[in-house]
Amino acid sequence: MPVWQRIYEDLQAELGDSNFVIISAAQDTGGEAVVGPIFDAANTTYIQIIDVDHTISTVFNFLNVPSAAWVDESGKIVRIDEGTYAKIHPFGGNDVYAPALIDWVRNGENSEYVQSAATVTKNIRVLSTDELKAEAAFRLGNFFRSQGYAEKAEAYWEQARTLNPDSVNYIRQNLTLSEEGSAGEAFRGLMTSYVEGGKHYYRPLDLTEK
Amino acid sequence: MAAAIMAYPDLRHPFEKKSINRNSSASVLYAGKVFALTRTLTDNGLWVTPEDLTVINGFELKPEGACFESLCIPIKHDSGLLKQEDGQQWFNLTSFAELLEQPCVADIEHKVWSFGEVPAKRQGMISDAMAPDFELVDRQGQVIRMSDYKGKKALIITWSSW
Repeated sequence: MPVWQRIYEDLQAELGDSNFVIISAAQDTGGEAVVGPIFDAANTTYIQIIDVDHTISTVFNFLNVPSAAWVDESGKIVRIDEGTYAKIHPFGGNDVYAPALIDWVRNGENSEYVQSAATVTKNIRVLSTDELKAEAAFRLGNFFRSQGYAEKAEAYWEQARTLNPDSVNYIRQNLTLSEEGSAGEAFRGLMTSYVEGGKHYYRPLDLTEK
Repeated sequence: MAAAIMAYPDLRHPFEKKSINRNSSASVLYAGKVFALTRTLTDNGLWVTPEDLTVINGFELKPEGACFESLCIPIKHDSGLLKQEDGQQWFNLTSFAELLEQPCVADIEHKVWSFGEVPAKRQGMISDAMAPDFELVDRQGQVIRMSDYKGKKALIITWSSW
C-alpha cells in the first residue's frame, strides 16, 4: 500500500490533482479495527473504503485480492481483474503492472496498455447463478455476525464458500475465523489444489493483449 | 503488510448478541442497507407493502407494472406477485427477485432476507465494458459512487488484511 500511495503522490505532482483517483476498498469483515490502522500506516490520501460486504468484488466479479479495474474518463473499463501488485510478491506479484498503470494515467487512450472493450468483456469473469447467490449468503452471514450470532454467521459464510468455491475472497475471509487464520495449513492446501487443478490464483497478466 | 496476514482471535466475534426483529416483523438486506420492516407477511416468500417496496429498491407500483425510473415490469394479475389481505395490498418481494433473476438467501428462523445484485444493472459491464455503478461510504463518511468520477481516470483496487 505504501507503494500505491507513492505512485499516487508522484502522479498528482506530475499531472495535477484533478486527473486521476484511486478508490481503494478493503474487502474485510474485520472493519475499521483491522484495516483502519493499515490505511493509516501508509499515510493514505486517496479514497479509502472499508468494504465489509466485499461489494466491490461483487460488482466487478473479482474473486481474489488484490484485484483492480482501470476506468477511463468516459466510465469505460480498459483493464480488469489482474493480480494488482506494485512489486514482486510470492503470490503472483510482479514489477511490470505498476509501470503500465503509470503509463496509462499519463497517456490515456494512447497507452499501449489500454485494452479494447472486446478484450475487457472477455476478461470479466462469468459467474453462474450459484456463484452470484454466494454474495447474498455472505451478506447474510455478515449481518448475523454484526448481531452477535457467530454460528449463524459461520454457516452462511460456509454457504457462500460452497456456492462459489473459486472465490479466494470467501475462503480466506472465512479462515480468519479459524484458529490457524487465513495463511495457515488450509490456505496452503488451497494454493496446492489451485495449482494441481490447473487453476490460476490470479488471471495471468498479459500486457501485450490489446 | 506481512504481519497483518494472521488470525485476529480477539476480533473473531466482537459483537454482543442482539435481538433480531424485536420491533419489526422481518428484516431485508438490500444493496448494502438493512431494512427492519414492521408490516410483512411471510407465508410463501416475503410480502411487503407497496410503500416498503419503494423504500427498499425504488420500484413503484403503477397501473403499467412495477416501475423504476423509465423501466416498467408488467405485473399480471395471476402472477402471484400481488394480493389483497386485511384491506392491505401486498407485493411478493421474493417472487419479484426471481423474475429479475436476483439472488436471494433467507433465514426463516430469524426472518431475515438477503438480496444480491440485480443482473440487469450490470449488463453494461458484461456486454460493453462500462464500469458498474456502486455506492459505498468512505472512511471520512463521504458517499462514493463510481458515476461521481466521470471525467477522471480511476483505479479501483481491492485488498484485505487476511
